[in-house]
Amino acid sequence: MQERITDRPDDSIGLRKLVLYRDVVFTEAGEAPAQPARRASVAAVIRNPWAGAGPTTDLHAEQSRVAPVLARLLTDRLIDALGGVAEIEAFGKAAIVGTAGEIEHAGALIHTPYFGNLVREFLQGESIICFADTRAEAGETLVVPLWHKTHAATRSHYQTISARVADAPRADEIVVIAAASTGPRPHPRIGDRKTDPVVTTETLEKVPS
Amino acid sequence: MNVRKIVTTVEEIRTEGGREVTPAARIAVVAAVIENPWAGQGFVEDLAPGIDATASDLGALLAPAVLDALGAPAEAYGKAAIVGLDGEIEHGSALIHTLQFGDHFRKAANATTLLPAVEKRGAAGVVFDIPLKHITDATIRSHHQTTEVRITDAPHPDEIVVALAAAAQGRPQQRLAPLSTEQ
Repeated sequence: MQERITDRPDDSIGLRKLVLYRDVVFTEAGEAPAQPARRASVAAVIRNPWAGAGPTTDLHAEQSRVAPVLARLLTDRLIDALGGVAEIEAFGKAAIVGTAGEIEHAGALIHTPYFGNLVREFLQGESIICFADTRAEAGETLVVPLWHKTHAATRSHYQTISARVADAPRADEIVVIAAASTGPRPHPRIGDRKTDPVVTTETLEKVPS
Repeated sequence: MNVRKIVTTVEEIRTEGGREVTPAARIAVVAAVIENPWAGQGFVEDLAPGIDATASDLGALLAPAVLDALGAPAEAYGKAAIVGLDGEIEHGSALIHTLQFGDHFRKAANATTLLPAVEKRGAAGVVFDIPLKHITDATIRSHHQTTEVRITDAPHPDEIVVALAAAAQGRPQQRLAPLSTEQ
Protein backbone atom coordinates (compact mmCIF):
# COMPACT_ATOMS: atom_id res chain seq x y z
CA MET A 1 0.00 0.00 0.00
CA GLN A 2 2.75 2.41 0.95
CA GLU A 3 4.54 1.78 -2.34
CA ARG A 4 1.45 2.50 -4.32
CA ILE A 5 0.96 5.82 -2.52
CA THR A 6 4.55 6.85 -3.15
CA ASP A 7 4.34 5.81 -6.74
CA ARG A 8 1.11 7.56 -7.61
CA PRO A 9 -0.19 9.76 -4.80
CA ASP A 10 -2.90 11.41 -6.91
CA ASP A 11 -5.83 9.46 -5.59
CA SER A 12 -4.70 9.32 -2.01
CA ILE A 13 -4.32 13.08 -1.60
CA GLY A 14 -6.56 14.41 -4.38
CA LEU A 15 -3.59 15.82 -6.32
CA ARG A 16 -4.57 17.93 -9.35
CA LYS A 17 -1.25 19.38 -10.43
CA LEU A 18 2.36 20.11 -9.53
CA VAL A 19 4.11 23.34 -10.48
CA LEU A 20 7.87 23.86 -10.30
CA TYR A 21 9.39 27.36 -10.41
CA ARG A 22 13.17 27.73 -10.49
CA ASP A 23 15.37 30.76 -11.00
CA VAL A 24 19.09 31.13 -11.44
CA VAL A 25 20.64 34.58 -11.08
CA PHE A 26 23.58 35.36 -13.35
CA THR A 27 23.88 39.06 -12.58
CA GLU A 28 22.34 41.29 -9.93
CA ALA A 29 22.83 45.04 -10.00
CA GLY A 30 25.10 44.43 -12.97
CA GLU A 31 27.54 42.05 -11.32
CA ALA A 32 27.77 38.28 -11.04
CA PRO A 33 27.20 36.92 -7.51
CA ALA A 34 30.30 35.57 -5.77
CA GLN A 35 28.25 32.52 -4.84
CA PRO A 36 25.52 32.02 -7.47
CA ALA A 37 22.37 30.42 -6.09
CA ARG A 38 19.58 28.43 -7.64
CA ARG A 39 16.21 28.80 -5.97
CA ALA A 40 13.09 26.78 -6.50
CA SER A 41 9.58 26.31 -5.23
CA VAL A 42 7.35 23.32 -5.85
CA ALA A 43 3.61 23.68 -5.41
CA ALA A 44 1.11 20.84 -5.15
CA VAL A 45 -2.56 21.57 -5.74
CA ILE A 46 -4.73 19.19 -3.73
CA ARG A 47 -8.34 18.87 -2.73
CA ASN A 48 -8.97 20.41 0.70
CA PRO A 49 -9.62 17.30 2.83
CA TRP A 50 -11.82 19.42 5.12
CA ALA A 51 -13.75 21.50 2.58
CA GLY A 52 -17.26 22.01 3.96
CA ALA A 53 -16.36 20.73 7.41
CA GLY A 54 -17.07 22.94 10.42
CA PRO A 55 -14.53 24.63 12.72
CA THR A 56 -14.84 21.94 15.36
CA THR A 57 -13.76 19.18 12.97
CA ASP A 58 -10.79 17.19 14.22
CA LEU A 59 -7.96 17.60 11.71
CA HIS A 60 -5.58 14.95 12.95
CA ALA A 61 -6.57 11.93 10.91
CA GLU A 62 -6.30 13.62 7.53
CA GLN A 63 -3.24 15.70 8.37
CA SER A 64 -1.32 12.61 9.44
CA ARG A 65 -2.36 10.83 6.24
CA VAL A 66 -1.94 13.64 3.65
CA ALA A 67 0.98 15.71 4.95
CA PRO A 68 3.63 12.94 4.81
CA VAL A 69 2.77 12.22 1.18
CA LEU A 70 3.16 15.92 0.36
CA ALA A 71 6.45 16.16 2.27
CA ARG A 72 7.93 13.34 0.22
CA LEU A 73 6.53 14.49 -3.10
CA LEU A 74 7.56 18.14 -2.77
CA THR A 75 11.04 17.49 -1.40
CA ASP A 76 11.75 14.89 -4.08
CA ARG A 77 10.95 17.48 -6.73
CA LEU A 78 12.95 20.21 -4.98
CA ILE A 79 16.02 18.02 -4.62
CA ASP A 80 15.77 17.03 -8.27
CA ALA A 81 15.33 20.65 -9.41
CA LEU A 82 18.28 21.95 -7.39
CA GLY A 83 20.85 19.27 -8.16
CA GLY A 84 20.84 17.16 -5.00
CA VAL A 85 20.08 17.53 -1.33
CA ALA A 86 23.68 18.46 -0.49
CA GLU A 87 23.32 21.56 -2.66
CA ILE A 88 20.40 22.91 -0.65
CA GLU A 89 21.34 25.50 1.99
CA ALA A 90 18.06 27.28 2.77
CA PHE A 91 14.43 26.21 2.97
CA GLY A 92 10.89 27.40 3.54
CA LYS A 93 7.27 26.27 3.28
CA ALA A 94 3.89 27.78 2.51
CA ALA A 95 0.24 27.11 1.81
CA ILE A 96 -2.59 28.93 0.07
CA VAL A 97 -6.03 27.74 1.08
CA GLY A 98 -9.02 28.29 -1.21
CA THR A 99 -11.90 30.46 -0.11
CA ALA A 100 -14.09 27.60 1.12
CA GLY A 101 -11.42 26.54 3.62
CA GLU A 102 -9.87 27.87 6.82
CA ILE A 103 -6.28 29.06 7.30
CA GLU A 104 -6.31 26.36 9.98
CA HIS A 105 -6.52 23.80 7.17
CA ALA A 106 -3.33 25.19 5.62
CA GLY A 107 -1.70 25.06 9.03
CA ALA A 108 -2.77 21.47 9.51
CA LEU A 109 -0.84 20.46 6.39
CA ILE A 110 2.38 22.47 6.92
CA HIS A 111 2.77 23.19 10.66
CA THR A 112 2.74 19.73 12.17
CA PRO A 113 5.51 17.12 12.38
CA TYR A 114 3.77 15.14 9.65
CA PHE A 115 5.02 17.75 7.17
CA GLY A 116 7.67 19.89 8.89
CA ASN A 117 9.72 17.12 10.48
CA LEU A 118 9.73 15.11 7.28
CA VAL A 119 10.66 18.06 5.06
CA ARG A 120 13.51 18.87 7.47
CA GLU A 121 14.64 15.25 7.42
CA PHE A 122 14.43 14.86 3.64
CA LEU A 123 16.31 18.14 3.08
CA GLN A 124 18.84 17.24 5.79
CA GLY A 125 18.16 20.36 7.82
CA GLU A 126 17.97 21.18 11.51
CA SER A 127 16.32 24.61 11.66
CA ILE A 128 12.68 25.37 12.24
CA ILE A 129 11.23 25.96 8.77
CA CYS A 130 9.98 29.49 8.14
CA PHE A 131 6.65 29.86 6.39
CA ALA A 132 3.90 31.95 4.84
CA ASP A 133 0.23 31.19 4.49
CA THR A 134 -2.86 32.90 3.16
CA ARG A 135 -6.38 32.33 1.93
CA ALA A 136 -6.90 33.51 -1.61
CA GLU A 137 -8.48 33.13 -5.00
CA ALA A 138 -6.70 31.22 -7.76
CA GLY A 139 -3.67 32.99 -9.20
CA GLU A 140 -2.58 34.71 -6.01
CA THR A 141 1.18 35.13 -5.66
CA LEU A 142 2.56 34.14 -2.28
CA VAL A 143 6.03 35.25 -1.18
CA VAL A 144 7.71 32.28 0.50
CA PRO A 145 10.47 33.09 3.02
CA LEU A 146 13.61 30.97 3.19
CA TRP A 147 16.36 30.77 5.75
CA HIS A 148 19.38 28.58 6.41
CA LYS A 149 18.49 24.94 6.93
CA THR A 150 20.96 24.32 9.76
CA HIS A 151 21.72 27.84 11.10
CA ALA A 152 18.51 29.83 10.87
CA ALA A 153 20.13 33.06 12.08
CA THR A 154 22.54 33.17 9.12
CA ARG A 155 21.53 36.56 7.76
CA SER A 156 23.01 36.09 4.27
CA HIS A 157 20.43 33.39 3.60
CA TYR A 158 17.34 35.42 4.49
CA GLN A 159 15.57 35.55 1.13
CA THR A 160 12.23 34.91 -0.51
CA ILE A 161 10.87 33.24 -3.61
CA SER A 162 7.46 33.81 -5.14
CA ALA A 163 5.07 30.94 -5.75
CA ARG A 164 1.97 31.18 -7.92
CA VAL A 165 -0.34 28.72 -9.66
CA ALA A 166 -2.46 30.47 -12.29
CA ASP A 167 -5.61 28.38 -11.78
CA ALA A 168 -5.31 27.34 -8.14
CA PRO A 169 -6.45 27.16 -5.46
CA ARG A 170 -10.06 26.70 -6.36
CA ALA A 171 -12.38 27.36 -3.43
CA ASP A 172 -12.18 23.76 -2.24
CA GLU A 173 -8.44 23.27 -2.83
CA ILE A 174 -5.17 23.94 -0.99
CA VAL A 175 -1.83 24.76 -2.62
CA VAL A 176 1.01 23.38 -0.50
CA ILE A 177 4.52 24.65 -1.25
CA ALA A 178 8.06 23.70 -0.32
CA ALA A 179 10.91 25.97 -1.39
CA ALA A 180 14.70 25.98 -1.19
CA SER A 181 17.84 27.79 -2.27
CA THR A 182 21.38 26.57 -2.91
CA GLY A 183 22.98 29.71 -1.53
CA PRO A 184 22.67 33.22 -0.11
CA ARG A 185 21.27 36.42 -1.62
CA PRO A 186 23.28 37.57 -4.67
CA HIS A 187 25.40 40.18 -2.88
CA PRO A 188 24.96 39.70 0.88
CA ARG A 189 26.63 42.51 2.81
CA ILE A 190 24.51 43.38 5.83
CA GLY A 191 26.73 41.67 8.36
CA ASP A 192 25.72 38.99 10.80
CA ARG A 193 25.10 38.55 14.49
CA LYS A 194 28.82 38.03 14.98
CA THR A 195 29.70 41.38 13.39
CA ASP A 196 26.80 43.50 14.61
CA PRO A 197 27.55 46.34 17.02
CA VAL A 198 25.44 46.52 20.15
CA VAL A 199 22.40 48.61 19.28
CA THR A 200 20.12 49.93 22.02
CA THR A 201 18.48 53.25 22.69
CA GLU A 202 21.48 54.06 24.88
CA THR A 203 24.11 53.36 22.24
CA LEU A 204 22.33 55.54 19.69
CA GLU A 205 22.53 59.27 20.18
CA LYS A 206 19.00 59.59 18.97
CA VAL A 207 16.30 57.16 17.89
CA PRO A 208 14.49 58.64 14.92
CA SER A 209 10.78 59.01 15.46
CA MET B 1 23.94 39.43 -24.50
CA ASN B 2 23.64 40.25 -20.81
CA VAL B 3 21.52 37.68 -18.95
CA ARG B 4 20.30 38.65 -15.47
CA LYS B 5 18.45 35.48 -14.62
CA ILE B 6 16.92 32.34 -16.08
CA VAL B 7 13.56 31.11 -14.85
CA THR B 8 12.24 27.61 -15.42
CA THR B 9 8.69 26.44 -14.77
CA VAL B 10 7.35 22.93 -15.17
CA GLU B 11 3.67 22.19 -14.78
CA GLU B 12 2.48 18.63 -14.36
CA ILE B 13 -1.26 18.02 -14.56
CA ARG B 14 -2.51 14.87 -12.83
CA THR B 15 -6.27 15.39 -13.06
CA GLU B 16 -8.46 17.61 -15.21
CA GLY B 17 -12.24 17.84 -15.22
CA GLY B 18 -12.15 15.47 -12.26
CA ARG B 19 -10.58 12.69 -14.28
CA GLU B 20 -7.10 11.28 -14.12
CA VAL B 21 -4.58 12.33 -16.78
CA THR B 22 -2.29 9.41 -17.61
CA PRO B 23 0.52 9.97 -18.19
CA ALA B 24 0.55 13.32 -16.41
CA ALA B 25 0.47 16.23 -18.87
CA ARG B 26 3.70 18.27 -18.83
CA ILE B 27 4.38 21.82 -19.99
CA ALA B 28 7.75 23.52 -19.47
CA VAL B 29 8.84 27.12 -19.92
CA VAL B 30 12.35 28.54 -19.79
CA ALA B 31 12.67 32.33 -19.77
CA ALA B 32 15.81 34.45 -19.97
CA VAL B 33 15.73 37.94 -18.52
CA ILE B 34 18.15 39.97 -20.62
CA GLU B 35 19.19 43.55 -21.02
CA ASN B 36 17.36 45.16 -23.95
CA PRO B 37 20.12 45.37 -26.59
CA TRP B 38 18.72 48.75 -27.71
CA ALA B 39 18.14 50.25 -24.26
CA GLY B 40 19.04 53.91 -23.93
CA GLN B 41 19.76 54.40 -27.63
CA GLY B 42 16.65 56.30 -28.62
CA PHE B 43 14.87 55.18 -31.79
CA VAL B 44 17.16 52.72 -33.56
CA GLU B 45 16.22 52.44 -37.23
CA ASP B 46 18.28 49.38 -38.11
CA LEU B 47 17.73 46.53 -35.65
CA ALA B 48 19.73 43.99 -37.68
CA PRO B 49 23.08 44.36 -35.85
CA GLY B 50 21.40 43.86 -32.48
CA ILE B 51 19.47 40.88 -33.82
CA ASP B 52 22.63 39.32 -35.22
CA ALA B 53 24.45 39.85 -31.92
CA THR B 54 21.73 38.36 -29.72
CA ALA B 55 19.00 36.23 -31.32
CA SER B 56 21.01 33.13 -32.18
CA ASP B 57 22.72 33.01 -28.78
CA LEU B 58 19.32 33.28 -27.09
CA GLY B 59 17.88 30.44 -29.16
CA ALA B 60 20.93 28.29 -28.43
CA LEU B 61 20.55 28.98 -24.71
CA LEU B 62 16.82 28.41 -24.38
CA ALA B 63 16.06 25.54 -26.77
CA PRO B 64 18.04 22.76 -25.05
CA ALA B 65 17.07 24.12 -21.62
CA VAL B 66 13.32 23.91 -22.23
CA LEU B 67 13.55 20.42 -23.70
CA ASP B 68 15.64 19.33 -20.72
CA ALA B 69 13.08 20.79 -18.32
CA LEU B 70 10.25 19.05 -20.15
CA GLY B 71 12.02 15.70 -19.86
CA ALA B 72 10.09 14.23 -22.78
CA PRO B 73 9.84 14.79 -26.54
CA ALA B 74 8.02 18.04 -27.34
CA GLU B 75 4.79 17.77 -29.28
CA ALA B 76 3.74 21.41 -29.06
CA TYR B 77 5.70 24.62 -28.66
CA GLY B 78 5.57 28.41 -28.49
CA LYS B 79 7.62 31.51 -27.69
CA ALA B 80 7.36 34.87 -25.96
CA ALA B 81 9.01 38.28 -25.79
CA ILE B 82 7.95 40.62 -22.99
CA VAL B 83 9.52 44.04 -23.26
CA GLY B 84 10.12 46.31 -20.28
CA LEU B 85 8.36 49.65 -20.16
CA ASP B 86 11.16 51.72 -21.67
CA GLY B 87 11.52 49.53 -24.77
CA GLU B 88 9.51 49.00 -27.94
CA ILE B 89 7.55 45.83 -28.60
CA GLU B 90 9.50 45.89 -31.86
CA HIS B 91 12.62 45.11 -29.81
CA GLY B 92 11.09 41.91 -28.45
CA SER B 93 9.75 40.95 -31.85
CA ALA B 94 13.20 41.55 -33.31
CA LEU B 95 14.72 38.91 -31.06
CA ILE B 96 12.12 36.18 -31.54
CA HIS B 97 10.81 36.72 -35.07
CA THR B 98 13.95 35.62 -36.84
CA LEU B 99 15.05 32.20 -38.00
CA GLN B 100 18.26 32.82 -36.09
CA PHE B 101 16.24 32.38 -32.89
CA GLY B 102 13.55 29.84 -33.76
CA ASP B 103 15.65 27.42 -35.77
CA HIS B 104 17.52 26.32 -32.64
CA PHE B 105 14.22 25.11 -31.16
CA ARG B 106 12.95 23.60 -34.41
CA LYS B 107 16.17 21.67 -34.88
CA ALA B 108 16.36 20.46 -31.28
CA ALA B 109 12.70 19.36 -31.28
CA ASN B 110 12.62 17.95 -34.83
CA ALA B 111 9.93 20.51 -35.56
CA THR B 112 8.86 22.17 -38.77
CA THR B 113 6.07 24.67 -38.07
CA LEU B 114 6.27 28.33 -37.19
CA LEU B 115 6.36 29.00 -33.47
CA PRO B 116 3.23 30.75 -32.18
CA ALA B 117 4.18 33.79 -30.14
CA VAL B 118 3.15 36.44 -27.65
CA GLU B 119 4.76 39.87 -27.70
CA LYS B 120 3.79 42.48 -25.19
CA ARG B 121 5.15 45.29 -23.07
CA GLY B 122 4.67 45.39 -19.35
CA ALA B 123 5.97 46.13 -15.90
CA ALA B 124 7.90 43.64 -13.80
CA GLY B 125 5.54 40.90 -12.64
CA VAL B 126 3.28 41.15 -15.68
CA VAL B 127 1.38 37.93 -16.37
CA PHE B 128 1.66 36.61 -19.90
CA ASP B 129 0.23 33.63 -21.77
CA ILE B 130 2.36 31.69 -24.23
CA PRO B 131 0.37 30.02 -27.02
CA LEU B 132 1.52 26.56 -28.12
CA LYS B 133 0.74 24.61 -31.28
CA HIS B 134 1.83 21.27 -32.70
CA ILE B 135 5.46 21.14 -33.78
CA THR B 136 4.88 19.66 -37.24
CA ASP B 137 1.27 20.54 -38.11
CA ALA B 138 -0.21 23.75 -36.75
CA THR B 139 -3.73 22.62 -37.69
CA ILE B 140 -3.78 19.78 -35.14
CA ARG B 141 -6.45 21.07 -32.78
CA SER B 142 -5.70 18.79 -29.84
CA HIS B 143 -2.40 20.61 -29.33
CA HIS B 144 -3.70 24.21 -29.31
CA GLN B 145 -3.06 25.32 -25.73
CA THR B 146 -1.56 28.09 -23.63
CA THR B 147 0.53 28.31 -20.51
CA GLU B 148 0.71 31.23 -18.10
CA VAL B 149 3.93 32.78 -16.82
CA ARG B 150 4.85 35.45 -14.29
CA ILE B 151 8.27 36.56 -13.08
CA THR B 152 7.95 38.75 -10.01
CA ASP B 153 10.84 41.12 -10.72
CA ALA B 154 11.08 41.09 -14.52
CA PRO B 155 11.20 42.73 -16.96
CA HIS B 156 12.78 45.89 -15.58
CA PRO B 157 12.14 48.92 -17.84
CA ASP B 158 15.37 48.29 -19.76
CA GLU B 159 15.02 44.50 -20.01
CA ILE B 160 13.30 41.92 -22.20
CA VAL B 161 12.02 38.52 -21.08
CA VAL B 162 12.43 35.98 -23.88
CA ALA B 163 10.87 32.57 -23.31
CA LEU B 164 10.30 29.23 -24.99
CA ALA B 165 7.50 26.84 -24.04
CA ALA B 166 7.19 23.12 -24.80
CA ALA B 167 4.42 20.61 -24.09
CA ALA B 168 4.80 16.83 -24.19
CA GLN B 169 1.20 16.38 -25.36
CA GLY B 170 -1.95 18.24 -26.30
CA ARG B 171 -4.57 19.50 -23.83
CA PRO B 172 -5.12 17.16 -20.88
CA GLN B 173 -8.62 16.00 -21.84
CA GLN B 174 -8.62 17.00 -25.51
CA ARG B 175 -11.68 15.68 -27.29
CA LEU B 176 -12.54 18.12 -30.09
CA ALA B 177 -13.24 16.91 -33.59
CA PRO B 178 -10.27 17.48 -35.90
CA LEU B 179 -10.35 20.33 -38.39
CA SER B 180 -10.68 17.84 -41.28
CA THR B 181 -14.14 16.78 -40.09
CA GLU B 182 -15.45 20.29 -40.77
CA GLN B 183 -13.98 20.72 -44.22
